[in-house]
Amino acid sequence: MNDTLYVQLLDLACGAFLLAGVLVLWRRDLAAIVRLFAVQGAALGVLVAVLGVHDGDTEVIGLAVGIGLLRAVLLPWLLRRALAASGGAAGPAANRETAPLVNVAASLVVAALLALLAYAVTRPVVALDPSPAAHAVPVALTVVLIGFFALVTRRRALSQVVGFLLVDNGITAVAFLTTSGVPLIVEGGVSLDVLLAVLVLQLLTARIRAAFGDTDLDGLRELRD
Amino acid sequence: MSVTVAGSVGAAAQVVLVGAGAPLLVGLMRQVRARLEGRAGAGVLQPWRDLRKLMRKQPITPDGTGPVFRVAPLLPAATALVIAAVIPIATTASPLDGAADLFAVTALLALGTVALALAGLDTGTAFGGMGASRETTVMALVEPTILVSVFALSVRVGSTNLGAIVTSTLHEPQRVISPVSLLAAIALAVVTIAETGRIPVDNPATHLELTMVHEAMVLEYSGPDLALVEWASAMRLTLLLGLVANLFAPWGVTGASMAMLPLAVAAYAAKVAVLGGVLAAGEVFMAKLRMFRVPELLAGSFVLALLAVAASFFLVGT
Amino acid sequence: MSLTGAAFAVAMGSSALAAAAGAALPRRARRITAGAGTLAAGGAAGVAGVAAMAGRSWGTWLPDVLPLAGVRLALDPLSGVFLAVTGAVAVCAAVYGVGYARPGKEAAGHGPGGLGVDGRVAQAMVPLFVAAMLLVPAAASVSTFLVAWELMALASLLLVAAEHRRRAAVAEAGLWYAVMTHLGLVVVLAGLAAFAAEAHGETFAAMRAASAGLSPAVRGAVFVATFAGFASKAGIVPLHVWLPRAHPEAPSHVSALMSAAMVNLGVYGIVRVGLDLLGGGPAWWWLLVLAAGAVSAVYGILQAAVAADIKRLLAYSTCENMGLVLIGVGACGFLRSSGAGALAALALTAALLHVVNHAGFKTLLFLAAGSVLHATGTRDLDALGGLRSPMPATTALFGVGALMASALPPGNGFVSEWLLLQSLIHALPSGGTLAAVTMPLAVAAVALSAGLAIATFVRAFGVGFLARPRTPAAGRAHESPPSMVTGMAVAAVCCVVLALVPGPVAGGLSRAVAVAVPGPKAVTGPAADAGTLHLAGLPSTMSPLLIVGALLAAVVALAAVLRGAALRRTERLARRRARPWDCGAGPMSARTEYTATSFAEPLQRVFDDVLAPETDVDVTPVAESAYLVDSVTYRARVGDRVEHRLYRPVLAAVAWAGRAARPLANGSVHRYVGYGFYAFTGVLVALAVLR
Repeated sequence: MNDTLYVQLLDLACGAFLLAGVLVLWRRDLAAIVRLFAVQGAALGVLVAVLGVHDGDTEVIGLAVGIGLLRAVLLPWLLRRALAASGGAAGPAANRETAPLVNVAASLVVAALLALLAYAVTRPVVALDPSPAAHAVPVALTVVLIGFFALVTRRRALSQVVGFLLVDNGITAVAFLTTSGVPLIVEGGVSLDVLLAVLVLQLLTARIRAAFGDTDLDGLRELRD
Repeated sequence: MSVTVAGSVGAAAQVVLVGAGAPLLVGLMRQVRARLEGRAGAGVLQPWRDLRKLMRKQPITPDGTGPVFRVAPLLPAATALVIAAVIPIATTASPLDGAADLFAVTALLALGTVALALAGLDTGTAFGGMGASRETTVMALVEPTILVSVFALSVRVGSTNLGAIVTSTLHEPQRVISPVSLLAAIALAVVTIAETGRIPVDNPATHLELTMVHEAMVLEYSGPDLALVEWASAMRLTLLLGLVANLFAPWGVTGASMAMLPLAVAAYAAKVAVLGGVLAAGEVFMAKLRMFRVPELLAGSFVLALLAVAASFFLVGT
Repeated sequence: MSLTGAAFAVAMGSSALAAAAGAALPRRARRITAGAGTLAAGGAAGVAGVAAMAGRSWGTWLPDVLPLAGVRLALDPLSGVFLAVTGAVAVCAAVYGVGYARPGKEAAGHGPGGLGVDGRVAQAMVPLFVAAMLLVPAAASVSTFLVAWELMALASLLLVAAEHRRRAAVAEAGLWYAVMTHLGLVVVLAGLAAFAAEAHGETFAAMRAASAGLSPAVRGAVFVATFAGFASKAGIVPLHVWLPRAHPEAPSHVSALMSAAMVNLGVYGIVRVGLDLLGGGPAWWWLLVLAAGAVSAVYGILQAAVAADIKRLLAYSTCENMGLVLIGVGACGFLRSSGAGALAALALTAALLHVVNHAGFKTLLFLAAGSVLHATGTRDLDALGGLRSPMPATTALFGVGALMASALPPGNGFVSEWLLLQSLIHALPSGGTLAAVTMPLAVAAVALSAGLAIATFVRAFGVGFLARPRTPAAGRAHESPPSMVTGMAVAAVCCVVLALVPGPVAGGLSRAVAVAVPGPKAVTGPAADAGTLHLAGLPSTMSPLLIVGALLAAVVALAAVLRGAALRRTERLARRRARPWDCGAGPMSARTEYTATSFAEPLQRVFDDVLAPETDVDVTPVAESAYLVDSVTYRARVGDRVEHRLYRPVLAAVAWAGRAARPLANGSVHRYVGYGFYAFTGVLVALAVLR
C-alpha cells in the first residue's frame, strides 16, 4: 500500500469513526443509535486493519477482524435484542431518547467544543511522533469525550450503554493510533470485559424495566427516598 | 485583476445559463419526484409555462402595502443574477472578481431574503409576518455554518475568493476525498437545503399555510411579481447547487479560455441536473421536520463544519 | 500652533461657550445657541481628528489649569480617530437636538426652570459632555485622562437623568449607571495609578518608555484592572448591565452620543493602555479580550433580537458591535504576541473601521428612534407600525441605518465585518494551537451575531415602520421637524460614503494602527480605485462599489424588462389595488398583524436556555364557577439573565450587609461623633504600639 493511499484510507476511517460518534448525539431513535454504534465499530475495525496492513503486521490484522466482529456485529446484536425486549413492553415512547438532560442542538455544539478541546490537549502527543496515525489521535480522544458526554446527559439506559461503549471505542482507537497495537492478550481481555459489561448492563436494564416499567434512569433517584 | 474578453463572455454566459436554466432545473426536479411517486408529471418545461402565464397577468398591489412590497421582488432576482455573474460556474475569470468572495455571496443571498421578509411584513397579514419570522430565523442560524465551512475550505488555499478555491482544487484533485472536504460538503449541503427551502426544512409544494416558511412570506404576490419571486428562488437553488458542485468537483470549470466555455457550461448543467435529481429523489423519502427541530439540523451541520475546520489540523498528514 | 491644535482649541472654546449659553440664555435662544456651539465644537473636533489621523500630531502642557500635575494633551493618529468620530457624532446630534428639544405636546408640563431636555441643566450638559469626550482621547497623562473620564461620566449621568420627572424608570437607570460607571472609574484609577507609580511618571510618554521594564505580574494586574474598567464603559458582557438601561432612558440625541461616541472610548482605553502603553502582552490577555468580545457579541445581539423596546434593542446592538470590535482588538493583540505583525495590523484596522462604521449607523438609528418616540410617544415596537406614510423621511433613514447595521452588502457594517473575518481566517497558519482552537470559534461567533443582526433589524424596521399602525398613537404619527431630519440625513450620508468608498478611510486608519502595532500597512487601496480594498500580502480583495454597481445594473435591467413586458399590453400596465388576500378570510384588523414579540418567538424558543424568558398566565374565573373563564392575562418578558444571575445575588448581599449594619446607625449624633473619636484614637494607639 503506498503512502498517499494509506493516509487517505486512514483519514476516511477516522472521519467515519468521528462522524458516527457525533451522530449518536444527534439521533433520538434508540434503534438508530445502535445502528450508528455498529457503523462506528466497523469504522474502528477498518481503521485498525489499515494500520495493520500498513505495518504488515498479521497479528494486528487479526485483531482488526476480531474488533470488527465484536463491535460491529456482536455488541449491536445484543443491544438490539435488549431494545426489542423493551419495545414490546413499554410502547414506542420507550424507544426514543425523548428528553435528554442537555437538548440535542446544545449537545451538538458541545460536541464541537469537545473536538477542539481534544485537539488542544493532544498537541504534545502528536508533536512527539508526527506520523499520520498520531495526527488522528485527537479524533479518537474526541470520541472518548463524546461518549462520556452521552453517558452524563442521556436518560435512557440503552443510550448510556452506547455512551460507555463509545468511550471504549475511543480508548481502543487511541491505543492503536499511538502505539500501533497493544498485545493480543490485553486487547482480548479488554474486549471480554466490555462484552461482560454489556451483558450485565443488558440484564440490569431488563430488571429495571421489569421493576419500574421504564428505563429512564432519573427515576432511580426516587429509590433513595 | 485585468478584465479579459473571455472572462466577460464567460460571465455573460453564466448569467444566461442560470437565468434560462433555473426553471428547467425546478421542472426536472418536479418530474423526478412525479415519476418516483408514480405520477406522469407535467414535463420539464412546465415552470417556464407557469412563468409565462404569470407574466401576462395584471400586477396587483394589496391595500395597505407600500413601496417596499412593490420593489422587494426585484432584489432577490437581481442578487441572484449578480451572483450568477460572479461565482465560478463556468469560468474563474469573471470581470467582477473583486466581489467573488464567499462572504459577499452569502451576504448577497441574505439580502434577497431580507427584501422578501420585509415585503412579507409590509403586507400586514398574519401569514406574511409568520413567514418572514421563520425565514429570518432559519437564515440567522444558517449563517455560522456557512462561514465556518468557508473557513474550512479556505484554510488550505489561504483565500476566501471562490475563484482561488476552485482553481486550487482543480490543481490538486486528490484533496476532494479528504475528510475536510467531505465534512464541509455535508455541512454545505444541509445549508443549501435550508437556504433554498427544500424538504426537510421547508416544503415548496405545500398548500397548508400554517406549515409554510418561504411560501407564507410571498403569499400576497401575484402576476409578474410572483413570476419574479419564483424565478429568483429557482435561480438561488441552481446557484447554490452549482456552488456546492463546483467547490467539491470543479472539473470542467475553465480559466480565461474561450474555446472551453461551451464544455464548461455543459459540465455545469450536467452537475446541477445530477445534484437536483438526487435531491428530488431524496425528498420523496423524507418528511418535513417540525420547525423547532430545524435548529437541531442546523446545529448538526454547524458541528460538521467545525469538525471540518478541526480536521484540517487533526489530519495534517494528508 | 498647528492646524490640529488650533482646531482642537476651537472645539474646546465653542463647547465652553455653548455650555455657558445653555445655562444662561432664555429657553428659546438657549436651544439654538447651545446647538450651534455644539455643532461648531463637533466640526472643529472632526477637523482636528482628521488632521491628527493624517499625521499632524500635536501636544501641549498647560501647567496652570489643574493643580499639581497640570493638563497634558497630545493628539496622535490613534486619538485622532476617536476625536473625529466623536466630532462627527456631535455634529449630527447637535443639529438634531435643536428640533428634538423643542417643547412638543408631550413635553409640555414640566418644571419651569431647570430640568427636561430643554432645561438649563440638559442644555448646558450636552456641550460639556461633548467636550469631555473630546478630552479623553486627547489626554496624555494619567491625571488629565482620569479628570476627563470622570467629567464625561458626570455629564452623561446628568443627561441620562434629564427626564427623571417624567418616568420612574429613568431614576433607576441613572442609579445603575452611576454605580457602574464609578466602579469602572475605581478600577481604571487603581490600574493606571499602579502603572504610573511603577513607571515613576504619570505622563503617557514616561509610562510607554518604562513599561517594558515592569514585572509581568504588575503588567498583568494593570491590564486586567484597566480592561475591566474600560470594558464596562464599552458595554461588554457581563459588565454591560447599565447600558441597556441608561441608553434608552436618555434623550435620544444623548443616546446617540453615548452609544455611538462614548462607548468607543472604552475601546480607546483598551487599545491605548494595552497595545500602546503596555506595548502588547502575553497571549492570555488578548484571549481574554477576544472571549469577552465574542460573548458580548452573541449575547448582545440575542437580547436585541428579542427586545420589545426599540431603543433597548439599539442599546443591546451596541453591546454586540462593541463585542465585535473587541474580537478585532483581541485578535490583534494575540497575533502581535505570536509575531504576525501584518495580520495584527489588519485585525486592528478592522476593529477601528468597525468603530467608525458603528458610530455612523448607530447615530442614525438612535436619532431615527428618537423621531419615532417624538412622533408617537412610545418606544414599544409592538405598538408601532405603519409609520412609512406619515413619516416617510424617518422611515427611509431608519431603513438605511438598519441595512448598514445588519452587515449586508451595500452597508458599511458589511465592509468592516468582512475585514474582521479575513483577519480571523488568515490568523490560522501563524498562531499555533491556540489560534487553531480560538479562531474557528471566533468566526462562528461573528457569523452568528451577523445572522442574528439581520433578524434583529428586519424585525425593527419591518414591524416598527412597515405594515399598518398597531395602535392609534402610531396612526397619529407626524414627520419630525427639518432640523431633526437634517441631523439624521447627515449621519446617513456619512454611512453611505463609508459603505461605498471604504478605501480612503481604511487607508487613513493605517497611521492610527501603526501607533498600536508598529509595522507595515495592512490594507491598501490604490487612489484611482477608492472602492476596492486590497489586503497587503493576502490574495483577497473586496469592492463594495462593484457590488453595488452590479446590483443596481441588475435591478434596472429587470425593471426595464418588466416594464417592457407590460408596455406591450398597455391595458395591463396599471397596477390594480385590491384587498390583501390573507388566505381568503375577511378584512383583518390591525390586531391580527404579526407583532415584534411574535416575530421574535422562534428565536426566543431556539435560544430558550440562554434567554430564560419568563411568562406568567393568570386565569380569572367568573364568580359563579371555577370552570368558566372570565379573563386571561398573559405576560411575557425576557429579562437580562446576566443581571439576574450575577448582579442580583451581589445586590442582595449588599442589602443584607446594609440591614445588618443598621443597629450601628441609630440616629444619635453622639454615637456618630463617637465612632470618629474611637477610630481616631484607635489609629493613634495602633501607631504607638507598632512603632
